[in-house]
Amino acid sequence: MYAETLSTRIVATVPSMDEASLIRAAQKGDQDAFERLVRTYDQSVLRIAMNLLRAPEEARDVYQETFLKVYKNLNSFRFDCSFHTWLYRIATNICLDHLRRRKVRREESAVAETSEGTVDRMSTFVESAPHANPERQTWNRQLSSKISGALEDLTPRERTVFELRHYEGLRLRAIGEMLGTTEEAAKNCLFRATQKMRVSLESFA
Amino acid sequence: MSRVLDCTEIVNEIPFYCYGEVSSEVEERIEAHLAACAGCRGELARHKAFLELMDAREVPASVLGEDAMLASCRATLRGAVAAESEPRSSGWLNALRNFSRFQIPFQVPVGAVALVALGFLAARVTPVRFGGVAQAGVGDAMFSNIRSVEADPGGGVRIAVDEVRRRVVTGSPRDAQIQELLVSAVREESNPGLRVESISILKDGADLESVRTALLDALTHDPNPGVRLKALDGLKGWAGNPVVRRRLAEVLLRDDNPGVRIQAIDLLTAHRDDSIVGVLQNVVQREDNDYVRTRTTKLLEEMGASVGTY
Repeated sequence: MYAETLSTRIVATVPSMDEASLIRAAQKGDQDAFERLVRTYDQSVLRIAMNLLRAPEEARDVYQETFLKVYKNLNSFRFDCSFHTWLYRIATNICLDHLRRRKVRREESAVAETSEGTVDRMSTFVESAPHANPERQTWNRQLSSKISGALEDLTPRERTVFELRHYEGLRLRAIGEMLGTTEEAAKNCLFRATQKMRVSLESFA
Repeated sequence: MSRVLDCTEIVNEIPFYCYGEVSSEVEERIEAHLAACAGCRGELARHKAFLELMDAREVPASVLGEDAMLASCRATLRGAVAAESEPRSSGWLNALRNFSRFQIPFQVPVGAVALVALGFLAARVTPVRFGGVAQAGVGDAMFSNIRSVEADPGGGVRIAVDEVRRRVVTGSPRDAQIQELLVSAVREESNPGLRVESISILKDGADLESVRTALLDALTHDPNPGVRLKALDGLKGWAGNPVVRRRLAEVLLRDDNPGVRIQAIDLLTAHRDDSIVGVLQNVVQREDNDYVRTRTTKLLEEMGASVGTY
């Protein structure tokens, strides 16, 4: 399902030399170069935000905050890590802030507690194939809600690591760099997240 | 040197083994253990089943579709970056302030030249509505804005002037260039009256996806409720479209203006389908406007759906 991972897409689309030239040009104020950088990565940033937050409005906010921050701080980028690591670090930190704020005010969460259990608000917007099996659709909806509820119960950091590893296919080393921590710490975080998720989804197994 | 891993260690490594996050040496040891241990093979199977379950989760989709959402994000970002890159308005004021601190003998003549230049430019470029003179030329008005004024060490003055030339574009509302300009006006123009006017003209072209996307964006992002209502009006003929319906449902849940929510429920009522039942049930729970709640409840009842599920 996620065979084409984020990292392979990046390698395929951006030769590193071109990227370095683009970054230097953008640092000198070349707006076109900045726009090209944005267009190279913005789909991935939006996708990460959508996956992590599952709320289109918040994902839009993350997109804007991320690239404005990149624009304002581009001159401080010194090529001591890859540009995408730097960019995703900014994006994931902003996502983490949103998740933390959401933890504080649970009522704004993408997941709603209802008399029938946890319901993922996003699932109400996911378009189903017109001739899909209704029972399968119901099962998928229930599963999606259950998964979303279980993800909401993780700490923001655990959730971010899990989503980036499982759904975005990023390596633990890259995730560690993005979150400003070590690969080992990211690994421990993933382990905790996986254990919790497995317990939460036991009834579906 | 390779130590044999026990079952607890194998179980702890299985999640990383499945993600390909173990070294080749550890991988070999895990595989050797698995070949001989039915218990750990069972654990591996359970973990793989869990991962498959996670992959069955529906991928979140924007109500607009990813491409349209991306296009809308890019348009907003472009505006924000342009605003960010504008020189601070205090630039030339600061220059003048700094200039007054110069203790140099040619301060007076330079100041005089600067004032003459400013007066000249102000008379030349002030917009007509402020009593200024629109520059004559090829028939297009030109408006200018002084960006910065700097005293030149050689005794001169350096003034940066932004010039905007007005161009009148005429054509049919179905013309692609006209539509592009109208869409830009809907997205980027700061004057809400102009946005409303643009939507009024655009709405007849809502059969085009780009126009519909602009209307949907205005519906959910425009800060002015009048503009959002106009966008709803423009989408009337598209109330049966699944993308539009999902956006209407979103508006119903999120818009803070009861007038907009009332209009949204009216449009949703015109075409009934089961895909929005969940949203409607959610609205009944959350809505504080009596009219919207009553209409939503009635709609659910007419659709044969439960009102109190959520």
